[in-house]
Amino acid sequence: MDSFLYVLGPTLVLSAFSALTPIVGYLEGRKKYKHLSGAFATLGFLIAFIIAIQMYVNLPADGFRAYLPGFSPPIGVEVIVDTLSMFMVLLFCGLGMLVSIYSIRYMDHDTGLDRYYTMLLLLVAGMAGVAVSGDLFTLFVFWELMSIASYSLVSFRKYRWEPIEAGFKYLVMSTVGSLIALLGIALLYGYAGTVNLSALSVAFSSSAVDPAYCYLVITLILVGFGVTASIVPFHTWLPDAHPAAPSSISAMLSGLVIKVAVYAISRTAFTVFAPSTFNYGLVLVVFAVVTATVANMQALLQRDVKRLLAFSSTANIGFIIFGLGVAAYSVHIWATVGSSSFLAAAVTGFMGALMHLLSHAIGKGLLFLAAGSFVTRAKTRNIYELEGVGRAMPWTGASFSIGLLSLAGAPPLAGFVSKLLLLMAGYSVGDLFMNVATSLMLLNSIFAVAYYLRLLQVCVIRPRGDKVKIVKEASPIMVLPLVLLMIALIIIGCYPWPFVEVARNATLNLLLAP
Amino acid sequence: MVETLAPQAYFVTSVILIAIGLYCVVSKRNMIKTVIGIEMITIAVNMVFLSLGWMRTYPLGIVDPLAQAFVVISIVIGGAIAALALSLVVNAYRHYKTLDLKKLRRLRW
Repeated sequence: MDSFLYVLGPTLVLSAFSALTPIVGYLEGRKKYKHLSGAFATLGFLIAFIIAIQMYVNLPADGFRAYLPGFSPPIGVEVIVDTLSMFMVLLFCGLGMLVSIYSIRYMDHDTGLDRYYTMLLLLVAGMAGVAVSGDLFTLFVFWELMSIASYSLVSFRKYRWEPIEAGFKYLVMSTVGSLIALLGIALLYGYAGTVNLSALSVAFSSSAVDPAYCYLVITLILVGFGVTASIVPFHTWLPDAHPAAPSSISAMLSGLVIKVAVYAISRTAFTVFAPSTFNYGLVLVVFAVVTATVANMQALLQRDVKRLLAFSSTANIGFIIFGLGVAAYSVHIWATVGSSSFLAAAVTGFMGALMHLLSHAIGKGLLFLAAGSFVTRAKTRNIYELEGVGRAMPWTGASFSIGLLSLAGAPPLAGFVSKLLLLMAGYSVGDLFMNVATSLMLLNSIFAVAYYLRLLQVCVIRPRGDKVKIVKEASPIMVLPLVLLMIALIIIGCYPWPFVEVARNATLNLLLAP
Repeated sequence: MVETLAPQAYFVTSVILIAIGLYCVVSKRNMIKTVIGIEMITIAVNMVFLSLGWMRTYPLGIVDPLAQAFVVISIVIGGAIAALALSLVVNAYRHYKTLDLKKLRRLRW
């Protein structure tokens, strides 16, 4: 049994730094040190990242497990770190650190920065907590920690009308969603008398369970977390919240918060309800196709650069959910037919979902940060007024183009690898339904290229427009995270094997858990 | 007879409360009433937890302490959300001098 504090390490470090940030902010105000709280928060992210790397290096094959002393599982609080959790925690801490570096200069003109960094640290602490929770109630508590931090960060610039309105909308929709998920958790508790994930998976694998009850719970959890994941009928908060938030927070929301929701769905669905018994893969695939199609259509119509990127996030969530759906669907077929090619398709699908999660988190984080630099310099969010801004800001423009090309799926970038894996998985299942669904996803990904290339053409390739005649490159501190993210995209695209290997281990951990 | 139905009665009541809360969130124009709707759903879900815990340990005549622990934490979370929501309502009122959600629709939906 590993130490509870060690297993919860990154979360605890981030929460501790979050609690100390107001004191640092007070010193910043008194002693007139500029950027002190930003540097402090970056230090916190760096320490959490190093701890996470160290945990990953020492990770045993069956993961770390620990519980709060006094109450052993299945009653008490349990934290479990396996490869999937580590994959998510490393992503959260890494992107969080880059966003924090970017914010040091980006938030220069705002006041109340100690509150901003407190919330940013709490946001990532909540995410890392969600990723290591071993029981659903702990997951819910960390989930709400993350949600509350993100509501207040969306409405951070409260002197303008837009963040207040978008923040209220986000709060109402997402809170109702998480309460619906809590209702699902309550029903799970009512059946099994525990909320521990491994105990639940034992309780729900017996044949005595009423399938209708299980499908009700699956629906509640899918809808509840799906609101934050912005699956299509529940996505309306996202295109308002992303443009209204500061760009650094849009990068966090789009890169990480919606991914945490996907993680929560996949962890709950795949662990508690074995996909071999319950056939929810079909529903996931249908939701995925609808999500990607609707969001792509709407993205094509946008003129606001951040709103366009927000719709493209929803479309990419469609791709990730598609991977999960393929995995669940083909595990279900594998359980009845028994041919191992279906299992291979399931593993490829889930792996593709994880790789797309990674490539989209990096790519969309990069795009929102770059768009933030453009918008601060050019003072407009309209794409056609940002004509040629990439030429005026060469480094930002270059990373913006790489990010766009990666999301469009151009080889040899990260987005190509993940989309290839997803489509390969979809076609290798081989029945009519999956062939049609995968072809629709393929059409969607081609369709998405249209607006990515339009954005690339207008913002980077065209000669400079009137609005950007006098625009200069952003400060080096704002360029550094962009360049690092760009390099990450190129490395993952050119040499994906180590990342695919991690994703594969995480997949095998989750899908073939005893 | 009445006593044996007690946890079920709580369960049914809380499901009705969830429905009323959802109706309140969806249809009311006043921002504070929307927040009240959210709080009603929070309380109803907590009551679902309690009634299910009571059903599990019904012969003992107590509610499962695990469910009570969950509910205590959940109440705290609900309080935090209510506080944040009301602070947003205050800020919205400062911008618009009204609490009517219909007048707040400057965002494109």
